[in-house]
Amino acid sequence: MNRILLADDDIELCEMLQEYLETEGFQVEAVHNGEDALEKVRSNAHDLLVLDVMMPKRNGFDVLRDLRMSSQIPVLMLTARDEDVDSIVGLELGADDYVPKPCNPRVLVARIRAALRRAQASAGDDPAHTQQDVLTLDDLQMHTGSRSVVVGGKPIAMTSTEYSVLEVLLREAGHVVSKADLSERALGRQLTRYDRSIDMHLSSLRKKLGPLPNGTERIKTVRGVGYQYTSP
Amino acid sequence: MYRLVWKIFFSFWLSLIVFAGASLTVASLYVEHARSEDANQSPRDRLKGYLEEARVVAASEGTEGLSAWLKKLDRREVIPILLIDAQGRDLLDRPVSAHIAERIERPPARHDQRRHPAQRGLVQTGEGTEYRLVPDFRAVTLNRVLTRPRVVAFPLIAAAIISALVSFFLARYLSLPIRRLSRATRQFGSGDLAMRVAPSLGGRRDEVAELAHDFDQMADQLQALIAAQRQLLSDVSHELRSPLARLQVALGLARQRRPNQPFPELDRIEREAERLNELIAQLLSLARLESDAGLPRTERVDLAALVAEIAESADYEVSPSKRGVRVVASIPAHIEANTTLLHSALENVMRNAAKYTAEDTGVEVSLSPDGQRAGWVLVQVRDHGPGVPEDMLARLFDPFVRVGDARDRASGGYGLGLAIAKRAIQLHGGEISARNHAEGGLTVSIRLPTDRIRSNS
Repeated sequence: MNRILLADDDIELCEMLQEYLETEGFQVEAVHNGEDALEKVRSNAHDLLVLDVMMPKRNGFDVLRDLRMSSQIPVLMLTARDEDVDSIVGLELGADDYVPKPCNPRVLVARIRAALRRAQASAGDDPAHTQQDVLTLDDLQMHTGSRSVVVGGKPIAMTSTEYSVLEVLLREAGHVVSKADLSERALGRQLTRYDRSIDMHLSSLRKKLGPLPNGTERIKTVRGVGYQYTSP
Repeated sequence: MYRLVWKIFFSFWLSLIVFAGASLTVASLYVEHARSEDANQSPRDRLKGYLEEARVVAASEGTEGLSAWLKKLDRREVIPILLIDAQGRDLLDRPVSAHIAERIERPPARHDQRRHPAQRGLVQTGEGTEYRLVPDFRAVTLNRVLTRPRVVAFPLIAAAIISALVSFFLARYLSLPIRRLSRATRQFGSGDLAMRVAPSLGGRRDEVAELAHDFDQMADQLQALIAAQRQLLSDVSHELRSPLARLQVALGLARQRRPNQPFPELDRIEREAERLNELIAQLLSLARLESDAGLPRTERVDLAALVAEIAESADYEVSPSKRGVRVVASIPAHIEANTTLLHSALENVMRNAAKYTAEDTGVEVSLSPDGQRAGWVLVQVRDHGPGVPEDMLARLFDPFVRVGDARDRASGGYGLGLAIAKRAIQLHGGEISARNHAEGGLTVSIRLPTDRIRSNS
């Protein structure tokens, strides 16, 4: 059973969400401020964190920033619907996905499942990844078994979502992958309006990976179409 | 306190006094100067010259010529020059004053007798009439001085130039801050609530500066009020979110308890909650757009691709209702813009058009160069709907405007979509307007500058 940590300052909402998620088969624990959230996550007892942005004592961004120094636990941000800046900041800080709030709890559950699927693939129980152990392209090596990435001999820390996005691009290296495709294959959901998550994951991937050894861009943006991993 | 009053009062008063005084002084000095002919050599020389001239004229042209010459001379000479005949009458029949007559009656002094006629001021015409040329110094009057332009021209011109300069600087001094103030008022009126005047007036302290301060105070007050109102709107909307979030989870729970059972009431509640949610999102986004002075993060956007993409998704959404949205003309165009904002502006306009266009008709979207300004592009969205009454066209971009028919009421009016679109376009330095198409339907025109320089990063 997947254990989920729910961090939101709306106690009533947490109670209902807890009930809802438990019915869906999750084990849920709720905290109502940032400090408690950090403390609980550090106990390593959870598989996923649902993190609200607006919280007393250390808001969601602060929590995420601190968290990402030590942990790659999947994080789903709950952001105010109209504040697309919030979702961008969240993704930049390393959130795996975001759900605008208020939202339909069905959507939340679907996003939680998708994020968990990506994360659990790294445990190595995904049969699709056992066949080919290492993808190598230029100076980049992707170990699909351990879901780790090494660039120029240096391991790169990334969230499971970033890894999934990169894996899709690598497998299609030299070809353009549309945003909709990336969303479905890497995030496990359909691309929605104003959805900037793919762009944000791409931008943090670029930052983490840097350019190719010859100085050219590693991942190209093909305007209006999608993204392409530069093939040698 | 009332320094401007004194400034105006003293500058007018002083310049009037100076002008009047100066012209009086100059004129009277001249009169004095002309009268005291002994003190000065030049009038005498002048008289000698006149005498010579008179003799020549008299000799060659006779009495008539002499009188014409005298008339001409009198027009430019301040000192009246008389030509008096033996009967004691002036050639031009001007009155001869007593002291002149006396001077002529008196028998010439002996030493005078011996003198040459010319030295006694005698002029003889060809016909043998003899005139005596006599300057009447005492008859030099202010009136004569002032009616002879050659005499007063110089002081008059000098006074005119000086007073023009004084007036010009005074006028500038007075009108400059007023112009600033009016420009600021216009700017404030067009939405730049941060506009203030007083700092640009430096250390000025008068009624205009006071007015500027009052303006600034009013602007502060207004800005605070508007900010408070927007904050309230924003706060209320945020607060509405929490219960709405709970409502949605509660709905989810209700559904979980009766899985796989149709529950139309719950569907309805869910739809209405979604509507409420959308409305709050729009309210918040409008409130934020209106409080933003500039654009948040801009990037280079392929406008043609954006228009095509939005049209396509709008087309997809309305296709079940036998309506369509298609791009009928396009040009390659790039613009420095905030994608999300520009996207929502174009989308709101297209969706709105798709909502109002008649069944079995399509919305036509075109992207073209703006015919009115170089470097601008024009996006036109034309529907085949009922159009909008002319008097409502300008208000179409106001929040929650209702055009008036029942169908409109049912569909929730124009809501906030067009208001958001307008604000978003304005933030991009563009313009949006609507007009009824000659063949029916509404055309919304969006004009955007493509060569806009990044305002902020």
